[in-house]
Amino acid sequence: MDLVRDVMDKKLVDRKDCEMGRVDGLVMHVGPSSQPRITHILVGGTTLWMRLGPVFSGISARLARLWGPKRTESVRIPWSRVKTVGRDIKLDVMARDTGAIDWEIWIAHHIIERIPGSGTEEEE
Amino acid sequence: MRLERLLVFPILFCLGCKPPSPAEQMDSMLSWLATARMTGEGWLRHTTPDTYSRQTLEMSGEKIDQIAADLLRSPPSGVDTATLDSLFTRSRVRVNAMARLIAAKNAPDFGGQLDSLGADEKRVKQLADSIEHKQ
Amino acid sequence: MKKILQITLGIVTSVGGFLEIGSVTTAAQAGAAFGYQLLWAILLGTICLIFLVEMSGRLSAVSKHTIVAAMRERFGFPFFFIVLVGMTLVAFLVLIAELGGIGFSLQLLTGIGFPWWAIPVSLLVWLLMWKGTFGLIENGASLLGLVTISFVVAAIKLHPDWSGVAAGLAPTLPQSDKAHYGFIAVSIMGASISPYLMYFYSSGAIEDKWDESYVSVNRFIAGFGMTFGGFLSMAVLVVAAMAFQPRGVRVDSFDQSALLMTTALPRWGFYLFAISMLFACFGAALEVSLAIAYFFAQGFGWSWGEDLEPSKDARFAFVYTIIILLAAIPLVFGIDPLKVTIMSMALTAATLPLAIIPFLFLMNDPVYMSKHRNGWISNSVVAIIIVISFVLAVISIPLQIIGG
Repeated sequence: MDLVRDVMDKKLVDRKDCEMGRVDGLVMHVGPSSQPRITHILVGGTTLWMRLGPVFSGISARLARLWGPKRTESVRIPWSRVKTVGRDIKLDVMARDTGAIDWEIWIAHHIIERIPGSGTEEEE
Repeated sequence: MRLERLLVFPILFCLGCKPPSPAEQMDSMLSWLATARMTGEGWLRHTTPDTYSRQTLEMSGEKIDQIAADLLRSPPSGVDTATLDSLFTRSRVRVNAMARLIAAKNAPDFGGQLDSLGADEKRVKQLADSIEHKQ
Repeated sequence: MKKILQITLGIVTSVGGFLEIGSVTTAAQAGAAFGYQLLWAILLGTICLIFLVEMSGRLSAVSKHTIVAAMRERFGFPFFFIVLVGMTLVAFLVLIAELGGIGFSLQLLTGIGFPWWAIPVSLLVWLLMWKGTFGLIENGASLLGLVTISFVVAAIKLHPDWSGVAAGLAPTLPQSDKAHYGFIAVSIMGASISPYLMYFYSSGAIEDKWDESYVSVNRFIAGFGMTFGGFLSMAVLVVAAMAFQPRGVRVDSFDQSALLMTTALPRWGFYLFAISMLFACFGAALEVSLAIAYFFAQGFGWSWGEDLEPSKDARFAFVYTIIILLAAIPLVFGIDPLKVTIMSMALTAATLPLAIIPFLFLMNDPVYMSKHRNGWISNSVVAIIIVISFVLAVISIPLQIIGG
């Protein structure tokens, strides 16, 4: 598998095909005598912004401490949870449990659902 | 590199705006006189509504005033400034009068002013042509 | 047969994307200043757009990815981010111009100044996105946009010199005012080839659930839709050439453009112009807002879709809510929408390479396109468009300074 072409920046979907962001980084284990292997997928947080440079990473960390779900570190998803790698990467998780859609949930609760007509009535 | 290029544009734009030449200013003057006349004709023929016609005539008057002030500040060579000044003032006063006549719904007097505006426009055109020849 | 009805996506993309405040203003300016001489610029813009839009649709139908999603995956986050910033800035300016255009149309119809309309208009655009579905926006904007056919009616009624019109389809240089001519030509291209059009169409194809079976009808939809828009723009130019040029009226303000159809259609021309601009700018405002929100959502991997309720795609809804709110602010303070329009056209032209170069790579990538990769014709056209876009990028700003 070509990591850059097949994995990096690919969209992640959970068990119910809910979008949960993109592969923003990978954690690899490099052992003394074994092939390097991926252990975790990283989503969002400082990993993503570090790809632009430390300045962006610093700014995003500062903003994340002030506002939103107050999470600065990236979400780590074990590679063992990957079911298929195709058009999207399908994971054997529920998006809510991973923390990958914390921002989505925060914005939904704190902003969107306070505006009439946002569609929360059906959930009640 | 691309981000920097994007930032350069607004700066360049603000720094580099070139002032128009006298010939261009005369073209602009003619354009607004023609706009006033076209709007006036439209109002008489009931093709343009009262509010729009009045507002456009008022705007034309303001633009004529602005361009006249700019032109007279640095007048083109070989043209009598007093002639320009009186012609522009007459046009502006006429256009503003036309706007007031719309408010009063006075079509007959409006028609008279419109015809005179046409004559003003011709005179400005002659002056514009002579300025262009001299440049 | 049902696929042919998807023509509405083509029409809405075209009427909202092609025929909007920028293209009407630049076409009117072109006709007023240079008669039929700049028709070739609209023709060239239309042809380029047909190819680009067809490719956008084909990419989405075959790869089930939008352009933005494919660009992020193929080129990585840093490149995507640069394009995001560039495209968002330019599209935001276009949004201000379109909201201003709606306000101005309402000013024409009611006499109430456009700054007063900034908030109600923005609210209405936002409400349509908040509560509406993609189908409603697509079909509604297309249907209402058909009133712009009045431009063609006006052009025919004026009995233009058709041989002169035909001659205008070939590029010529003017006797004088070359910088101004060049500037309007560049603005027409910038008004025609708007990247947000491609992002909108590509997302629309996904919203309408296109698949590989749509590849051939997509050609027809893109071709017909963009030709329709191009035709309408040309009609505006022809009408301006006949109504404004002989009188020496230049289109330096929107108020002057309102006189466009009063010669050809004395009874209804003024109102038809106002209503046409109202619907065209409305479609454009919806399209641009959606394009910006799509860009963020697809690039970052958020859930998105006009058919979803806002609580189900919160970040997507948040983006379009914020940008519409921000776009209204300068209008409330009376910024001249015409100046914003002109600037946005020049900046669009200047940032075109950013949008089109990645596209060339994607359309030839077998991972995304399988057997529907570009043939040599499409590749040649894109290559030519890239060259044109670089030329535009380099000359648009100096021309704006000299000839604008």
